Amino acid sequence: MNKVLKIIPEQCTGCMRCEMACSYMQTGVYQPSKSVIRVSPFEKHTSYSPYTCFQCEEAWCLAACPVEAITISAVGAKIVIEDQCVGCKLCTIACPYGTIFYDTDTHKAFKCNLCGGEPACAEACPTAAIQWVEAEVQDWQGEFAAQRGNVHLVGFST
Amino acid sequence: MAKKRHVIVGGGTAGLNAITTIREYDKGESEVVLVAGEWPYSRMVLPYFLGRSISETHVFTATSPRMAELGIQYASGDANTVAPAGEMSPLVSRFIPRRATALDTKNNKLTLDDGSIVDYDDLLIATGSSATRPPVPGADGDNIYNLWTLDDAKGVLSHIKDGMDVAMIGAGFISFTILNGVLSHGVKLHIVEIMPQVLPRMVDKDGATLVEDWLTQRGVNIHTNTAVQSIEDIDGRKKLVMGDGTDIIVDLVIMGTGIRTNLGWLEGSGIDIDQGILVDDHLRSNIPNVYAAGDVAQGAELITGSREVHAIEPTAMEHGRIVGANMASRDIAYRGSLLMNILDIIDLNIASFGNWISDSEDTSVLLVTRDHVYRKLIWDGDRITGAIIMGPSRALWTTNDVGMLKGLIQSRVHLGDWKRYLHENLRDIKKPFVASHITRDMLPIKTLDHPTIPSREVTARN
Repeated sequence: MNKVLKIIPEQCTGCMRCEMACSYMQTGVYQPSKSVIRVSPFEKHTSYSPYTCFQCEEAWCLAACPVEAITISAVGAKIVIEDQCVGCKLCTIACPYGTIFYDTDTHKAFKCNLCGGEPACAEACPTAAIQWVEAEVQDWQGEFAAQRGNVHLVGFST
Repeated sequence: MAKKRHVIVGGGTAGLNAITTIREYDKGESEVVLVAGEWPYSRMVLPYFLGRSISETHVFTATSPRMAELGIQYASGDANTVAPAGEMSPLVSRFIPRRATALDTKNNKLTLDDGSIVDYDDLLIATGSSATRPPVPGADGDNIYNLWTLDDAKGVLSHIKDGMDVAMIGAGFISFTILNGVLSHGVKLHIVEIMPQVLPRMVDKDGATLVEDWLTQRGVNIHTNTAVQSIEDIDGRKKLVMGDGTDIIVDLVIMGTGIRTNLGWLEGSGIDIDQGILVDDHLRSNIPNVYAAGDVAQGAELITGSREVHAIEPTAMEHGRIVGANMASRDIAYRGSLLMNILDIIDLNIASFGNWISDSEDTSVLLVTRDHVYRKLIWDGDRITGAIIMGPSRALWTTNDVGMLKGLIQSRVHLGDWKRYLHENLRDIKKPFVASHITRDMLPIKTLDHPTIPSREVTARN
């Protein structure tokens, strides 16, 4: 079984260390805008969840690329080959999860590449909300968000 | 026993995806004949070639070695060496650089432009579209280019120079894909559009107003609601005589006035054609061993199921993969394609999905004119059936939300109470997206019957 990034939103404190570690690993700078794992607040900032590429089997981004600039790495990550990417953004409208991005500085697509098999986000997470483990990929955040969404809607918001 | 012979007519996105998918399944066991007038290349990346950010070699999708990996030999010209009718072919798979001129579906014979005949067991029509020119006097003169083919791009590149005035006639999606590339040459651009707004088939009036303002602020001249009456030569330059009485003098004219599907050669073939070739859920035409894909195919649209010609890259890709699997004797049904487009206009990011042009009153809108930010959702009950999303690329949430918006539409999810939330919080797409279990519903979905693999891996193992 492949290793995957397992997300346990209940353990996330919103400290954003994963975003810092990710951007540093990917680009050499601590810059959350370059992070490909993104932490979002839920229920009026009482809880948080990281969110990143599921490395889905359909690989919508890979199939959509007109120049074969996306391939699959040894650890099963769908990765962008930068030299090959022309920056047409087709992958960003093909991915239904919103986990492949366009970098306005490089004019290329970028996404989670699982750091070549040692994901910096999982290593940086102090509460094990992000784990690099053997598992079947699944919808880690859906139930967590659905519960919090309801609370939000029935009257705790203003 | 003779190998099954698949004939692919057209080497664009649909044709190449079909060939790769055939090879993905049969690992080289069948005979594939590609009939295409030129070496396969990606039209999608021509704007970047025009903008000189990539070289010409980057444009080609099937080079000689790549064809060899797919088990296809280049047959440089003499298609008559293809086995005559009734004989078993002694030949390996081949690429014949010819155009098809006629199809005999009763006897399974394809006629090429040198008169030679290719027999087939099954055939894919993926002949795409050609650019059209308006019937305007002078439209066929010098220094007037379409921008549709690689040769067109080379023509413009040989002529365009820093400081020139360039007119772009037609302000549709195709024109706008090359806008950045044209501007990168340091030219003064004049856009002419016969409709009252730019991008008439990609955004509504409110969206178009933002685009026009964005372009005007960046020095582009926009002339909407007016048509070119004639194009005249004047001192080595081009004079566009306009219907509203103004003249526009330029050095170079680029035509983006529309495309037409290449179906004329099918006259008398017995193939059912409406707007395009009518195809079933396996992308077969009314003739069971003749498929159609890409711009020429009128296939199911994802949301309504009605058959439409999309003429967009993502649909051509999906069509090609589905046809390839079915030609390789799999039984893969096609769910339908979602209409979608994305543009970058001098760092203004614009995407639209589904039925973004709709008379529906049931919409949610966020419009911030000053920031060039626009979001619009089209509702059918508690489901989103179409959307426009626009904003500066540097505003991160613009590009970040594009994919989730696609997921909201593609998954056909019922949003329930989240509809009201989205209506009031149109910037917060992520929360309704995650809470609606779209990931759970989408993860098992596959276009083919196995996980997608890179086409390089397909060729490597053949």
